[in-house]
Amino acid sequence: MSAITVAKKDFRDAVRSRLLLGLTALFALFTVGGAALASWASGLFSEGGGESTIGLIFALQTPAGFLVPVIALIVGYGAIAGERETGSLKFLLGLPHRRRDVVLGKVLGRTGVVAVSILIGFAVGLIGLVAFVGEVSPVDYLAFTLVTVAFGFVYVCLGVGISAMTRSTTKAAVGAIALVVLFKALWGILSQVLLYAIEGTFLPETFPGWYLVFNSITPDAAYGSAIGFVLRESQFTSAGAYESQGLIESVPLVAEPWFGFVILAVWALLPLALGLWGFGRADL
Amino acid sequence: MPSIDISNVTKRYGTETALDGLSLSVERGEIYGFLGPNGAGKSTTINLLLDFIRPTTGEVRVFDLDAQADSLEIRQRTGILPEGAELYERLTGRQHVEFAIESKGADDDPDELIERVGLSPDAAAKKAGGYSKGMAQRLTFATALVGEPDLLILDEPSTGLDPNGARRMREIIREENERGATVFFSSHVLGQVEAVCDRVGILRDGDLITEDTVEGLRDSMPDQTRLRVTLDRIPDDSDAALAAVEAIDGVSSVTPEGRSLVVACEDRAKTEVLHVVEEYGVTVEDFETDESSLEDLFVAYTTGADGGREVVR
Repeated sequence: MSAITVAKKDFRDAVRSRLLLGLTALFALFTVGGAALASWASGLFSEGGGESTIGLIFALQTPAGFLVPVIALIVGYGAIAGERETGSLKFLLGLPHRRRDVVLGKVLGRTGVVAVSILIGFAVGLIGLVAFVGEVSPVDYLAFTLVTVAFGFVYVCLGVGISAMTRSTTKAAVGAIALVVLFKALWGILSQVLLYAIEGTFLPETFPGWYLVFNSITPDAAYGSAIGFVLRESQFTSAGAYESQGLIESVPLVAEPWFGFVILAVWALLPLALGLWGFGRADL
Repeated sequence: MPSIDISNVTKRYGTETALDGLSLSVERGEIYGFLGPNGAGKSTTINLLLDFIRPTTGEVRVFDLDAQADSLEIRQRTGILPEGAELYERLTGRQHVEFAIESKGADDDPDELIERVGLSPDAAAKKAGGYSKGMAQRLTFATALVGEPDLLILDEPSTGLDPNGARRMREIIREENERGATVFFSSHVLGQVEAVCDRVGILRDGDLITEDTVEGLRDSMPDQTRLRVTLDRIPDDSDAALAAVEAIDGVSSVTPEGRSLVVACEDRAKTEVLHVVEEYGVTVEDFETDESSLEDLFVAYTTGADGGREVVR
């Protein structure tokens, strides 16, 4: 109950941020852009109906996959470190809340904020889709939206987890930026380096299982896998492309679409556990 | 049963010692003034009571509960005014009070609390980001009063308050105390503490150097009263007059300053001093007593090294 009280307060406070408003607007712009792109593409290939929804989602996944982590980390990184820095944490913890309720409340409140941002962005995207394409599969679109909210939740956990482990917002911001760089750039480079080191080539005839596993375990890849699972479309998963071109012998368990949810859960719980542990022991 | 019981607590940050074997206890229903210069360890002590930090050694108990294990129950029964508390700048004053009420599961009327601390309804409807220091202090005080706490912990409560605000706060502290609340408040300004406290503890460099009632502290002053007597002229036999005044029981020193005499003496010797002076053929034009303030004592305790303590003992 205490975590819910904190979450409600935190949501009210954070949702009024001007920065969030700007990010949401940017996000909405990208979804409309995605809708326009999908409509252009569907005209090009004269696809229609449910296919256009898949096309739109495919066009939306890239901006969402980049902007949702950025929004979630910006919303999350200051959640606890910021209150520690300004001293308002002493007001919050002067009231009868456990430290873990504060961390959980922050995660819930900030996830709510990110969800609002995603819902607004995707609602605008939906309007764009109806306008440009004319037909939508609401079930697929809703499923995509829910998975994206789950993806936002994972990055909120990462952001709040980092925030709970440090007393400085600067350090928390550096940590958040490092995460984006790691998952968006370094991970891919690292996988190539490892591939060359182990297999001796960048383009093996068939890609080894470990390579697919390595490329499936980032939260971003797991987001793709999870979308692939709910839409029953393998093109969203990182293994899908290799599979369709016959570049792999079999899809390892970890690279299976449904396993994306397991990986997302791990990326949510791990930073949360570390944050709870660190914050619980800290001198404020 | 004491409301606060700190026994032999040491708190170190790395090599720095913030508190050094502090023992302190505050009885139920008492108003305890926790005095000391900035950096003496007052906030550290308060942070220990609220489990914001943990002691390196020693034990902290509040309501006879363990400050770490039972922190939630302690904070449920305590109202807190943290030092220089920042507020949530995007929430209104009223929302802060509502949040405190919901957090404590209390049924207070937020408007009543806001009015009680002297914050206007208009101000309470505004976002706290635009509050002055004094308004923020009033608002935080309102949240501390939520749920009729058994203990009020106030860290430098008069910070940023104008004289009216400080007086209002003292009145509320007395009202809360009459209701049965124990009050523990820290300050580096003696006037705040002197006016309301039953007992005072003085902290310096993480060490409680004295603890007494306000009267007790006054009594421990060697020159309790400073009497300044202004005469119409200097007596003819001034040496004899000085000697005679000095000989009075209870007088500790006499210093001539032109036509005036400054006499350090106990209260009971005052009239005798005036009588004796007039016996030397002069008229007392004016006299004033200057009750040595606790400020002198405080300064003596908290500045300088051991020399300061010598002055008082």
